[in-house]
Amino acid sequence: MSKELVNQWYNKISNVERNLPLLLVDGYAYTPQMAYDEVNNGSALGAKLQALIESGRFGTSSLEEVAIAKVRVRQILQSKPQDKILFATMSNKTFTPAQLLAEIESGTQIGEQWVQSEISRMTALVRVR
Amino acid sequence: MPALSNTFLFVEPDDNYLDYGSTVLHQIVEANKQSGQDITELMGADANPDKIKQILAGKNPLACAMIGHGSETIFTVFNLAPLLHAQNLSELALMNSRVVALCSCLTAVSLGPALIDAGTVSYLGYNKEFWFYTGDNAGTTRAVQSPFLAEFQFTVSLLRGKSTGEARADQLVKYDEEIAYWTTGDGKNHPSASEIANILQMNKGTSTFLGQGSVSPSPQSGALPAQINSAIPLVVAVAALGYAVYKTVLA
Repeated sequence: MSKELVNQWYNKISNVERNLPLLLVDGYAYTPQMAYDEVNNGSALGAKLQALIESGRFGTSSLEEVAIAKVRVRQILQSKPQDKILFATMSNKTFTPAQLLAEIESGTQIGEQWVQSEISRMTALVRVR
Repeated sequence: MPALSNTFLFVEPDDNYLDYGSTVLHQIVEANKQSGQDITELMGADANPDKIKQILAGKNPLACAMIGHGSETIFTVFNLAPLLHAQNLSELALMNSRVVALCSCLTAVSLGPALIDAGTVSYLGYNKEFWFYTGDNAGTTRAVQSPFLAEFQFTVSLLRGKSTGEARADQLVKYDEEIAYWTTGDGKNHPSASEIANILQMNKGTSTFLGQGSVSPSPQSGALPAQINSAIPLVVAVAALGYAVYKTVLA
């Protein structure tokens, strides 16, 4: 496989996603931007990151998946206006980013639903072609 | 008496953030209704239990798509008025022999199965929260519409003559299309693209279809053009044969 696949993958994902942690190598999380740079520099780390991308994995155990998903969701929600209602459900609940983040940090059922969805989305993201 | 084909009821309350769904459903009905269909839309305060029961009794629609806040056992409409309880047999009987789609939270846990047990032919709903994005005013952007565009694809397909099973398959495809739009498509750099993609992912994962997949609430609307098209060559062939016979006799 070539680094063109990594470049093609990088070009298809969004600007925000490029700077969220996604790929785990030797206990460290790397963003797509870091992976793109390392691969194009031809480093040893880049080779490991490229192998993950090519295999469509982000290289974590389930515990690490949850940890990275929480970091990503936290980073996303903290970038929003904290007191504006941005999310609602058809059970008459509304959430500001701060309230939703509190659900996630507390590990409520609603918070867990978002974390699991983020893990699914991370899997889909690393498999974008 | 069996519910009537080509007869639809849409329940569209607009309070407590329900306008985010109702505006989309109304647009979808307007864009996809076919001639010959008897369609009732109960909008805003008209989306109340009394008027809903009146339409069910009077028009006897085969298909009902309703928006409302819900729980495992209760579905509510305008002003959070309960319409259906999982333990209330007379309420469940309101939906006997009908196709019922509830854009609501959690009703697939108990209420949906209870409806099927009570004679509803097909049910569509959610076994967890149904999420939507409220960052813009209701109905104004793709971002706030997207979860409902996926949800109401089921209704689009039924209005166009497809069966419940086909409509369900179309809905799942639409979910994937909307997710792709926010992940790698034109919407990927929207400031809330990742949250909207997550919302769609969650809704798709908890969407639940129960009952029969072979029911077509409006069969002729989709089938008629195809039948006409396939009949045209036969008509031409018969006419040509007739003309040939006529010429042969004359000769």
